[in-house]
Amino acid sequence: MEPIRIDPRRALDDAMRAQQKLAASFRTLREVDDVDYGATEKEAIYREDKVVVYRYKGKAEPTAKAPILICYALVNRPYMVDLQDDRSLVKNLLALGEDVYIIDWGYPDGGDRWLTLDDYINGYIRRSVAAVAKHAGVEKINLLGICQGGAFSLCFASLYQDKLQNLITMVTPVDFHTKDNMLSHWTRDMDVDLFVDTLGNVPADLMNWCYLTLKPVRLNQQKYVAMLDILDDKAELENFLRMEKWIFDSPDQAGEAFREFIRDFYQGNKLVKGGLEIGGKPISLKNITIPVLNIFAEQDHLVPPSASRPLGEYIGTTDYTQLAFKGGHIGIYVSGRAQREVPPAIHEWLAKRTK
Amino acid sequence: MAKGPDPTRAPDDWQALSQQYWNAWADATRKAFGSAADATAPDKTPWHEGLEQWSRMFDARGAGGTQSEVVERLLAGARSYFALLQSLAETGADGKADPQAWAERLRGSFNFPGADAALLDNPLARALRELAGHGAKGFEQMMKGMQPAMAEARALLDLPAFGYAREHQEHYQRMAKAWLDYQQETNRYNALIARASRRAFEVFEDKLAERGEPGRQVDSVRGLYDLWVDAAEDAYAEVALSDEFREVYGALVNAQMRVRQDVQREVERVATDLGMPTRTEIDSMGKRLHALHRDAKNRAEALPELVAEVAALRAEVERLKAGGVKPASQPARKTAARKAPRKTGKKPGKE
Repeated sequence: MEPIRIDPRRALDDAMRAQQKLAASFRTLREVDDVDYGATEKEAIYREDKVVVYRYKGKAEPTAKAPILICYALVNRPYMVDLQDDRSLVKNLLALGEDVYIIDWGYPDGGDRWLTLDDYINGYIRRSVAAVAKHAGVEKINLLGICQGGAFSLCFASLYQDKLQNLITMVTPVDFHTKDNMLSHWTRDMDVDLFVDTLGNVPADLMNWCYLTLKPVRLNQQKYVAMLDILDDKAELENFLRMEKWIFDSPDQAGEAFREFIRDFYQGNKLVKGGLEIGGKPISLKNITIPVLNIFAEQDHLVPPSASRPLGEYIGTTDYTQLAFKGGHIGIYVSGRAQREVPPAIHEWLAKRTK
Repeated sequence: MAKGPDPTRAPDDWQALSQQYWNAWADATRKAFGSAADATAPDKTPWHEGLEQWSRMFDARGAGGTQSEVVERLLAGARSYFALLQSLAETGADGKADPQAWAERLRGSFNFPGADAALLDNPLARALRELAGHGAKGFEQMMKGMQPAMAEARALLDLPAFGYAREHQEHYQRMAKAWLDYQQETNRYNALIARASRRAFEVFEDKLAERGEPGRQVDSVRGLYDLWVDAAEDAYAEVALSDEFREVYGALVNAQMRVRQDVQREVERVATDLGMPTRTEIDSMGKRLHALHRDAKNRAEALPELVAEVAALRAEVERLKAGGVKPASQPARKTAARKAPRKTGKKPGKE
């Protein structure tokens, strides 16, 4: 049987529809509002250098016994967790009674060139955790680390778990040397000292270029071909543009922290192999004995599930829960399925463990 | 079973439908933009020209900001798709249908009129080039700017350095060497991307062959395009996850950094000659400032504890002065008591 059975009339209809949408887009593209993000009102409760810790304000007072502090990655902006009204992990957690705070790392510039992982983990995160605990009037809080922020959270928990009740990691790389981890594979023969000594801070555009080359056809062509379908729909187009804005609204990376992260995590895989030190303090996942919930995405091309899944093997806790989510690295926050599944899973898990 | 296209009538159908398509497009364009659309005969005009025309409308109307960026990205992404759409719609009518023939048509569709000849049969290289990353573009622009200097440096490359300008000559030789290394690594990288492109067509054939089963046939151009994207990404991943790619990628990044570093040195040399501050100097100051900043933070963080300790010590001294009251058992006082000189009944400094 022939593998392709395309009616020329249908092909032309498809082309015609695409052209009609292109024509319509001349109107819709001019009508779309300057896309904004952040659906939920928030207030700053702590500031240090460019770092700001915000507390989100829900419609009702939180009922949870301890707050959640979200620790996002350095490589993108944290508003992905509160992108828009109907795509917001934060909003859904607030609706379930959680008290949610977030660390906004800001945009590092030349003045932040020498920030190290010690500054980020033993400095900013430790003081942010203290600030949230003080603001919420509790001794221990819940920490939710995302992607690279998850790896930071694991390091933090290894050193200061007495400040935490529970730890949640989302799409977090743990074993950086699994076979399907393309990003890690590419960094292995890179001279990161030469790289950082040359570039100083690592430009965001260079980082984005690298991410796009992970799937060059899908991310650079197919996505925009699919955009043809929504060119005549203002609301959908705004959603698309909002996501585009997030993808390319990336901070530069502080040079020294980047050097250490590539050398110790991507190249050295020290989180699982051992020998990792942050600011001279040894890190061991075995030190972490508080409850841990590890959520990862099954179709994640940036942090493959194989990189997240091994956490259970290396962590010290006996209360370890793993949740595999059907979706990608971004879909875990913004897809319709994510809105339905992820916040309740976090809330229920915390409710059983938070004192 | 669904009625399929009649292969014998397909070319006639195509001509008529194609004309119909262009008429409709011209009409839609006139309505949307209020201008006369190009009524070029369909057999002479590539379909992606419609897309180009669309983008020119935005230029003419002075659309800026987000819109023009979106238009640029969409144009880059969809150009290949429109070429594929046209190619497959045209050639799909001739009745040939085995996977290899389709793969050939697909290959042909990427070499559309106006496409860069250097990217012939290499759709993955095209996708990589179309990435709108300024981080990469900036370097390309820098390399273009360096071309005259490189031409000069190449001539000097084999000459021994001597005399008053020997340091400069050696520097140019090093730059030229770094540039040549970078070219070599770029060629190795491009060869792997070309291999991935070739492999993509093979994977596409395999995927297409699987679609010969009933119920799995591809019945739309978009479906075919999506299948091609799956094949291209699978082939790319195969190559990109190989040990060879890892070595070449690392070598390419390192080679590019060496070129950048040499250019920076040259800029610094000129800046020094002109009495301007250099990046090395700024880095040096930044590093010191950061160390001071960190030290100040640590001291500030330790301050409340120190203040409490001093207060406890003062309180204890006051108590001692007042008549030797036994120290209370507060932690800070305990520390203070440990650190304080042993009570001897003598005045300090008299022991």
